[in-house]
Amino acid sequence: MSLTERDIRAIADYARIDLPQDQLPAMTTYMNDVIETLRPIIEYDLEGVEPTYHPIGSLANVMREDAAVPSLSQEEALSNAPQSEDGCFKVPAILGGEQ
Amino acid sequence: MASETKMNHVQSPSSYAHGSVAQIKELIASRSVSAKEIAQNSLEFVKNTDHEVHAFTEVTEKLALEAAEKIDKLVADGEELPALAGVPVAFKDNMNLLGTKTTCSSRMLENYHSPYTATCVQKMLDAGAIPLGKLNMDEFAFGSSTETSAFGPSKNPYDLERVPGGSSGGSAAAVAAGQAILTLGSDTGGSIRQPASFCGVYGFKPTYGVISRFGVVAFGSSLDQVGPFARSIDDIAESMNVLCGRDPYDCTSQASLGSYTEHLHDSIKGKKIGVVRSMIEAQGVTPEVTEAMYKAAENLEKAGATLVDVELEHAQAAMSAYYVIGPCEAFSNLSRFDSVRYGYCTPDCADLATQQSQSRSTGFGAEVCRRIMLGSYLLSSGVYEQYYLNALKVRTLITRDYENAFTSCDTLLMPTAPRAAFKFGEISDPTEMYLSDMFTVSINIAGNCGISVPVGLGSSSGLPIGAQLVGPAFKDQELLQVAAALGSAYGPASVAPQFAQSL
Repeated sequence: MSLTERDIRAIADYARIDLPQDQLPAMTTYMNDVIETLRPIIEYDLEGVEPTYHPIGSLANVMREDAAVPSLSQEEALSNAPQSEDGCFKVPAILGGEQ
Repeated sequence: MASETKMNHVQSPSSYAHGSVAQIKELIASRSVSAKEIAQNSLEFVKNTDHEVHAFTEVTEKLALEAAEKIDKLVADGEELPALAGVPVAFKDNMNLLGTKTTCSSRMLENYHSPYTATCVQKMLDAGAIPLGKLNMDEFAFGSSTETSAFGPSKNPYDLERVPGGSSGGSAAAVAAGQAILTLGSDTGGSIRQPASFCGVYGFKPTYGVISRFGVVAFGSSLDQVGPFARSIDDIAESMNVLCGRDPYDCTSQASLGSYTEHLHDSIKGKKIGVVRSMIEAQGVTPEVTEAMYKAAENLEKAGATLVDVELEHAQAAMSAYYVIGPCEAFSNLSRFDSVRYGYCTPDCADLATQQSQSRSTGFGAEVCRRIMLGSYLLSSGVYEQYYLNALKVRTLITRDYENAFTSCDTLLMPTAPRAAFKFGEISDPTEMYLSDMFTVSINIAGNCGISVPVGLGSSSGLPIGAQLVGPAFKDQELLQVAAALGSAYGPASVAPQFAQSL
């Protein structure tokens, strides 16, 4: 079952990508092509095989002392922000932007 | 090597960056040349050549001269010189360095100023290296040719009409063009080894965890690893002595494995090399690559190694596992580009959701959007269980394949890439481009170490070809030892002919 342009639009919305209408057909083709090449993954017999999440299997939790260390200043942390005000990141309305 | 030949080479250099770490050390220690002269000369060579190569996204003249001044002060004070004193280096533009932008070759980060310095970069600087600048890459490291860079591709120094490979294409091209002695790149699925192969230089992806990734923009967190490029295995080993070790800021980083130089040139007599015939003769591999691999096997045998045939049963599944795990991790990592804290922001949007969607579609290029879309889909409910979970199970099988292979041999030999460098625009289908990584991705999936060794020019293309040697996890020094033995059959990689004399 292949993905439709409508599916692609929904995925783009979820991923917060404003995909232009004229790019929708090419993206749909691409997604279906790649998913076809990934077919071996769903056809493999993986009965009883455990997943590996991380290449260092033996890695235990890494702990450190809960001690304060120097960090970025507020000014440094804000220095790359597109918009800031009064030492805060500034964003447009989260809800009801049209009003 | 006789010191006479060494000196002949550096007496009339077109650039000091054409030399080696050992040569620079000798020149500085003997007070023949100051670090400042090396820095100025290297910067000038970059300026004179980069309009052709386009390896750099930013040249850091001020930082280079400041670093050189420190070295010259050490020399004047008679202090001991650090390991890379005066060595001209450069960094892939996904590595933060205070005083530079870190763009990932993306519009998204075009104006992003590094708020701190990455550990790997800091270690090179602490060792006295001279930072010449930041290097071009595929946008956010998604690609195999640098053609996805928002600032235009880098060129292959062996043929300017061909790609340097990617994603660390600028890092490979800078070394091949003699613009730097050492560069750093990152490798998520082959992004160090494949461009090294295309540009005829050494490119080493250490075992996952050997070098800290703190300060390097993340792509696939369970796959990413930093590593060096150089024209000789000795310089790779010198840089590894500096780069490795535990970093409290990267919890995956491991304690240093010890010296990389001490046993580098020990004999490989008695070592077993596993020849992976199914890869060497795979469909899509050009005859000159197959020929070069068997020649490399022969050279390893002459150096005293024993050849054994090895098969990796699940190698076929590695590509599909990679193109599930990679995009899923990338989707997650790239969600941090929210148009609020840093990165491109579309002005005057009515609400935050619109601002985020528009900023991301404007700031990210086409390939970045494709990977995010793919990851988003593969992680969605119902799809996750079919693809992502299965890919992680296949990861277990691939890891076991390597463990089994290493019970019968010490090192594996396979091609780095199926072919030599292709022309710009030659591969336009993204899924076809992904095949460039067919022999490199499984090593990232399993987490062990791999290096591309330049093994001469292809018999039909006349372009550089790389042989990939793969070692078990945390046997990085032993891998470099085999690479040294293989490399000695070909001599050190040279600067590409077109740039050897261009100052």
